[in-house]
Amino acid sequence: MTDLGTLDYIWLGILAVFQGPEAFSLLGVSVSITVMMVAFGLVLGIVVGATPGLGGVIAMAISLPILISIFGFNSDALLPVMGFLIGVMKGSTVGGAVPAILFNTPGTPDAYMTTLDGYPMAQAGKARKALKVSHFSSVTGDTFSDIVLIVCAPFLAILVESYLDLPEKTALLILSLSFIAAVVSGSAAKGLLSCGLGLLAVYIGTGEDFYPRLSFGSDALSDGIPITAAVIGVLVIGAIFGELENLWSQTRRTGEIEIAQDEGDQRLHWSDIRRIFPYIGRSAIIGTTIGALPGVGSTLAATIGYATGKRIHTKKKRPEDPEFGQGAPEGIAATEAANSSVSGANLIPVLSLGIPGNTAAVFLILAAESIGGFNPGPAVFKFSSDLNPELVIAFGLFTTMILANLLNWTVGGLFMRSLGALVRIPKQYLLPVVLLLTLASLYVQETSMSAIWFAFGFGILGYFMMRFGISPLPFVIGFVLGGRIEDTARQAFSATGGDPWFLLKSPIAATFILCAIAVIFLSLRKPKADNT
Amino acid sequence: MRKLSASTALGVGCIAFALILAFIWIPLDTETWLVERKRGRYIAGDSLAPTLAAGFILIAGVMLLFERQTLDLHPTRYNLAFIGAISIFGIVGILLMRWTGPIAASLFGADEYRLLRDTAPWKYIGFVIGGGTMVFCIVSFVEQRVTWRALWIALVAVVVIIALYDLPFDDVLLPPNGDV
Repeated sequence: MTDLGTLDYIWLGILAVFQGPEAFSLLGVSVSITVMMVAFGLVLGIVVGATPGLGGVIAMAISLPILISIFGFNSDALLPVMGFLIGVMKGSTVGGAVPAILFNTPGTPDAYMTTLDGYPMAQAGKARKALKVSHFSSVTGDTFSDIVLIVCAPFLAILVESYLDLPEKTALLILSLSFIAAVVSGSAAKGLLSCGLGLLAVYIGTGEDFYPRLSFGSDALSDGIPITAAVIGVLVIGAIFGELENLWSQTRRTGEIEIAQDEGDQRLHWSDIRRIFPYIGRSAIIGTTIGALPGVGSTLAATIGYATGKRIHTKKKRPEDPEFGQGAPEGIAATEAANSSVSGANLIPVLSLGIPGNTAAVFLILAAESIGGFNPGPAVFKFSSDLNPELVIAFGLFTTMILANLLNWTVGGLFMRSLGALVRIPKQYLLPVVLLLTLASLYVQETSMSAIWFAFGFGILGYFMMRFGISPLPFVIGFVLGGRIEDTARQAFSATGGDPWFLLKSPIAATFILCAIAVIFLSLRKPKADNT
Repeated sequence: MRKLSASTALGVGCIAFALILAFIWIPLDTETWLVERKRGRYIAGDSLAPTLAAGFILIAGVMLLFERQTLDLHPTRYNLAFIGAISIFGIVGILLMRWTGPIAASLFGADEYRLLRDTAPWKYIGFVIGGGTMVFCIVSFVEQRVTWRALWIALVAVVVIIALYDLPFDDVLLPPNGDV
């Protein structure tokens, strides 16, 4: 067998996507299952993004067990399943702008700033144009972010693998948890609490001893808490409860939703693109930079992108141009480019370090763990001359991202603009059905009633966390990383001959630990706005 | 007397929980200590990682006492009433899902439920009644009225979910049929 170089791996990754098992043949051209699944994921993502109350996370939670039932637990399932999830992630970001522009109702939280200029444009009869600006900006930002991911992730992984040993990796994981806890919600203390609860939950019923620790001797706890039950419970079911409560408390609106009729030129001209492009560029850089930090959400990126764009627009705008907040296309561009460019960059810590930075990344890790054969982290990017199948999968994932972007560029906009009617689906019917569907999906994957009980219980916990203003994301990331932190720490402890100061002996590990402490205490100094 | 803020109460609760965890639950419910000596070598025991989690919760509790909060968020009575009702609907729905099939089989079936759990209509009874009840009750509660529409939506939802999972896949079992 010939030695494999970097280009060979890239090519193998592309082939794995396009020459995988055939789904169907179109005009004599074979379409692989992975390509089909990316397209399905994108379509579903746009639909759920455009439906207020739903979102990419719910779609991923429901789809994952179905996909695993279809594709099974073998490495051939990785690219179709993860490609689908990537499609959902990208589609939901684009779709979130539809109700934001047409009905002043953001489909996803990060689309809130889009309402500020999108809805005034729609009211002025420029709804289609606003949707086109939003789509163009969103996909441009996303593409930029993916390019940064593809270039940076392998280098970062190689650096980590070259310079970090077990104590440093343990310290890096602790730093990541501290950072996520500090930045993800308005309070570092609440972030840390959420993280601590996630760690505690994952340590129940696990460990190396014969007796499953912290299980009270009960059978239900002795096998540990299923990761999907905890993640879906806290993230999805908790959010459904929150949404249901909002509906319960609202005086039900009975009036028809009014839509302004489109008037005048709705096309996106080259002159429009030139006008909005500087705003897209700035916001894409802001979103990508923010997205590369684990735990920092797209809503913060959208807010900073919008604020930066507004400052520049105020100085540079022509007198006849609308201000930000009064229907300026630049406002939509600044917001959408920023929130969309977070999604690709968010995968940098996942693929290079194995540290999930957002909820979509959590589901990618869940998929990889459920299926097996791919462990996101620095070991993936070993460019060995003998075939490293994980590296082929990694380049396959990059290919699915590019493919999803191409589909988004070509058909995503058309599809997105046809989804305005989704906002009319009554949430009071949709959400209970989604709750049951989520529980059924969970059961299909876990085949255990205790998983349903756990998920429901964690849903209640997620609801209370929300009411206390505690973000569930550090909980989930603590749960996902808890096992790895323990394993790495155990190995590091043994490897250093039982040195209790193993985290402080190497300068790099000590720096990481000091940074972890510093980031928590610095964040204590002033309360922040919620940025999840 | 000054009113206790929600953050302070949460902080005190976290500190108490972390101390109980570290000094009662972990020592009594774990086999090995923080560090163990095995075959002449020191290894990390099973208590170490949960103690780290307790440490996180403890630090969070202390920080909550000192952190400046712009909003003192906490659940209100209204929130508790809502989540209480939803919990009841959920628990009733899950219990019906688990037990109506076996009860129906014991009353009307030729065999015990375990042998009928992959046979229609037995395998659907629990999911239809439990899932349907859950959806119907939640819709009715949120709408604050009971309607036929809510009932139809609940029934259509369970039928669609059955069609989604049970019909295409031979090896997929709906709740509770996988572990009865």
